[in-house]
Amino acid sequence: MNTSASSSSRTVVSVSRRILLVAMLLVLFGVFTVSMLELEELYNDYGRQYFFENAFDETGSRNFVTSILLDYRLFDSLFEAGILLIAVSGVIWISKHDVEEKNARFMIDKYKTPDLFVTFSRLVYPLMLTFGFYIVINGHLSPGGGFQGGAIVATAILILYYINPDKETNIGFIVTVEKVVYLLIIVAASVSIVTRGTFFTNFFPVDAPADLKAIYLVLLNVLIGFKVSLGLWTIFTAFLKEGR
Amino acid sequence: MVDYLTELTFIDYTGYVLQILLIFIALAIVLHKKTGTIVILIASFSLVTASLYVLNNAPDVAIAEVAIGSAIIPLIYVISVSRQREFIVLDKAMDDFIITDEQFTGIGYILLKRFADFYHLELNITNDPMLGRQDEARDQRLIEDTNVDLIVTKDKETGDYILKGKASSLLMNKLEQMTKDYEHVRVVQFKDRGLGE
Repeated sequence: MNTSASSSSRTVVSVSRRILLVAMLLVLFGVFTVSMLELEELYNDYGRQYFFENAFDETGSRNFVTSILLDYRLFDSLFEAGILLIAVSGVIWISKHDVEEKNARFMIDKYKTPDLFVTFSRLVYPLMLTFGFYIVINGHLSPGGGFQGGAIVATAILILYYINPDKETNIGFIVTVEKVVYLLIIVAASVSIVTRGTFFTNFFPVDAPADLKAIYLVLLNVLIGFKVSLGLWTIFTAFLKEGR
Repeated sequence: MVDYLTELTFIDYTGYVLQILLIFIALAIVLHKKTGTIVILIASFSLVTASLYVLNNAPDVAIAEVAIGSAIIPLIYVISVSRQREFIVLDKAMDDFIITDEQFTGIGYILLKRFADFYHLELNITNDPMLGRQDEARDQRLIEDTNVDLIVTKDKETGDYILKGKASSLLMNKLEQMTKDYEHVRVVQFKDRGLGE
């Protein structure tokens, strides 16, 4: 008797909760629709027009996304790179083993990885690595950049663990290198205080030729790509080690 | 309305088709039960999203989406799934099938141990009184709600030992193969219930 009463009251609670949930979703949907209508009024071409006319002359980058990421809004990009650093430290902190234990052998079970996958990985691995480097280095000319290329390189490294399950990795060393590279990025971004008088922009003067400015863009893209691939590599290794 | 439709280009139509496909993939991710299929579906979701980014003139974002969403995240999921290393068995039979003379020497224990060693799993046998005394009709519920992977029960009439597990677990097929040679052991696989059943 008692249990049936409690269960019926529970169903009442769950029904009212569901109604509340649906009402909340409807309100959210309404707010979203209204804001989308507002967005159409706010939408204009001024920003795009500015970048189209001035971005190549000012930054030397044909890819305007890169010109924003590495020149106009470099300050934001630095914190974006910092987020990955914090995420890596979080993953290592959450996984319960300490660094010494992590340096033990990795084991991906060979019999659980299909032969077809291993063979195909061997074939694709060099291509992936090359494509990743291509995207990093051509970040200022074609779509892509440090982050995207770094992610592709990191995927290639992850595939390496499937090809060779006994691969050993020293996580402490990778994390140290990643931190050093992050400091290098900040230093490379701050050199402009000496040459231009402002922080976080190209260290070549504004009227320098585009080829010269490209040196800075390639340098920063390579550093960011290196940092991102090391960070993602650390995250995989933490996952691989977990549960063994 | 008709004018609007005739003005649409091929790229517009492709965009609409991909958006509808995205909704279906999202529903499939929620409704599917098999882990491997879900991982593949998540990867394809990212792939469709990336093509939508390309259609909307954002190739930079598309490359990032492909690299992260359809390569790194599925691989991390695959790793995490293959890292599930504990195999928990609930012993409801409570006789010499598993424990003989206070020691783990029964036929069932040897069978399960061999099975766990094959997959490099850590065998963990429990006879938790709270779970063990529940009615046999609730076994399916028990496997779905708790982290128990296998329940061992005894058929009172024939004396057969019944190993119950999830049909969606690939391990169960292997267990069924291994138990073929044993006369008094049967394997029962519970089908996953659909949503809302």
